[in-house]
Amino acid sequence: MSNIIAELRDVRKNFQDSLIFSGIDLWIEEGETIGICGDSGSGKTTLMNVLGMLDRPSGGSVIWEGNDVTGERSSKLSKLRPKLFGYIFQRCNLIPELNVLENLLFPRRIVTGVEQSDVDFAKNLLKRVSMSGAESRNITTLSGGERQRVAVVRAMMNHPKIIIADEPTGSLDERSADAVMDMIVGLCGEYGSALLLITHNGRFAKKMNTSHKLHGGKLEKIHRWSRES
Amino acid sequence: MKWYTYLAIKQLFPTGKRVSFFTAISVLGVALGVMVLFVVQSVMDGFQRNIRQAIVGTQGDLRVDSKSPIMDGDDVDTFLKSLPEVAATAKYSYGIAMMQRDKRPAFPIIKGIDLENELRVVDLQKFIKCGTLENFDSGGVILSGELARWMRANVGDSVEIYSPKMMENEDGDEVILPKTLEVAAIFETGYHHADQNIALLPLDVMQELYGLNGWIHGIGIKLKPNVRAEKFAFELNKCLNPPILAESWQEMNRDLLFALKTEKTMMFFVLLFILLMAAFSIAGSLTISVVRKTREIGLIGALGGTAKQCAACFMVQGLVLGIVGSAIGIPLGMAVIRFRNDIVSAFVKLCRVEDFMLKFYAFSNMPAQYGARDIFVIVAFAIALCCIAGILPALKAAKINPAEALRNE
Repeated sequence: MSNIIAELRDVRKNFQDSLIFSGIDLWIEEGETIGICGDSGSGKTTLMNVLGMLDRPSGGSVIWEGNDVTGERSSKLSKLRPKLFGYIFQRCNLIPELNVLENLLFPRRIVTGVEQSDVDFAKNLLKRVSMSGAESRNITTLSGGERQRVAVVRAMMNHPKIIIADEPTGSLDERSADAVMDMIVGLCGEYGSALLLITHNGRFAKKMNTSHKLHGGKLEKIHRWSRES
Repeated sequence: MKWYTYLAIKQLFPTGKRVSFFTAISVLGVALGVMVLFVVQSVMDGFQRNIRQAIVGTQGDLRVDSKSPIMDGDDVDTFLKSLPEVAATAKYSYGIAMMQRDKRPAFPIIKGIDLENELRVVDLQKFIKCGTLENFDSGGVILSGELARWMRANVGDSVEIYSPKMMENEDGDEVILPKTLEVAAIFETGYHHADQNIALLPLDVMQELYGLNGWIHGIGIKLKPNVRAEKFAFELNKCLNPPILAESWQEMNRDLLFALKTEKTMMFFVLLFILLMAAFSIAGSLTISVVRKTREIGLIGALGGTAKQCAACFMVQGLVLGIVGSAIGIPLGMAVIRFRNDIVSAFVKLCRVEDFMLKFYAFSNMPAQYGARDIFVIVAFAIALCCIAGILPALKAAKINPAEALRNE
């Protein structure tokens, strides 16, 4: 049996009287890539937040590495989350007061503190995304594509088991989007992280092992490719 | 370094920039508040020191006094001199007399002093503004500055003194002849109370005017260094027979010293409002910063930061602003104190109020004094207020739900 890292069991979420989704079952296995697409406002980002326990579900269970964390305290979740999840957002969310390298090391600073090995790892990843030498550059001087590449590297810094990418190419042109997407998939494969991609883009969703569509508050599996194929 | 301290410092002093506008304005606000507080407290301390010096310089450390004349003054004096804490003693007597010059009368307190011993107890020589003490013992009188001005008397002028004893004319047919004395010197301490209405005469002349037959009213005492006047007075009173009583200079001037202390404290609290305003400005700016950085707070949540740590980040910003503001404000205050006379002089010339300053504030050089305790208190208050200023935005940051913050996109 495959090793399941995170799982949603019969999860429901509603904001006050408004139901966002219900009866969601989703599990992410080690090294797997999953795409979730859906219309705007269908609850894709909320689903991502519930999986990472940034938002608590209204019903059902969230399981991390076999443990039900649905009722867990926020402080404990904060300790567990960075080991399990790395996030990439549409708008990068880089910290403007820090330069590129400082932004990359910031997740390490929160979890354990920065060591020389982290600096070396960050520099290697920057090289890997063709941004070698950009360590001391100010965030405001980077292009949109460069910022997103920095955000991708930042998500990898804690060696998370799952990368959650929420519309990571949403604000990029097609060419840059393809490059960034290839980079995310490539890095996840290289470092053995699973990938949960939230996207509007059906083309990108089809690049994943499994694709789901969130529609009418239900998650429908669109297709599943075997990892070998 | 904890990540929230690191981020707080980076948000105030971003990489690649010398300093952010928000930081510069906030630090300047705190620094100015600290500087004003420091300068005012130092000047107040300077005035207090001058007044204390004037009091001790004219009254001595301690007085052994009595409601009625002390008949065995020499015995008491010998006893006091034998005490190891006592450096010097000076006998005196005092009362009120009428003084007249060119039909211009005054009713000063006249104090008879034994000049040789008096100079060992008080710093009279230091306060002499004109004349000398050489001719004092041969029928001279020393007038306080304001008394001399009122009587329009200068050094070398003669003044006539009528004592209450002279009025005790039983037959009523005697012509009362005043005692005539020559003004030997005029003293001024800068302390209004001491300069107002006092005349110093030789002790034997005073005793003759009051018919004291060698009796005295009290003995001034100069204590050896490091002897605390209040404590010594307390101990001494156990050995003295009432109505003879020892009083330290602090007890004699309790009301004045209390007023000075209260004035300094009140000034501190009034000026603290400047710091309070700076702290409010920091609170406002940090609160705006929390709103502006909502997505960043959400990101920190996603990266593993807790709500308390996010709150700590903004608290630390308040703390850092307080520390940096104080670190700039205190040296700035020291610089103002260093050049205070130049600053006052420029101000006085600009406003043309030189005479006014001299008349009402009685200084041409502004006194100032500061110590480590004052600096500590000011810095502690500044930092505490800035920390409190960080609490409101910190609470706001702690309440932010990371998921909602990220949805803010």
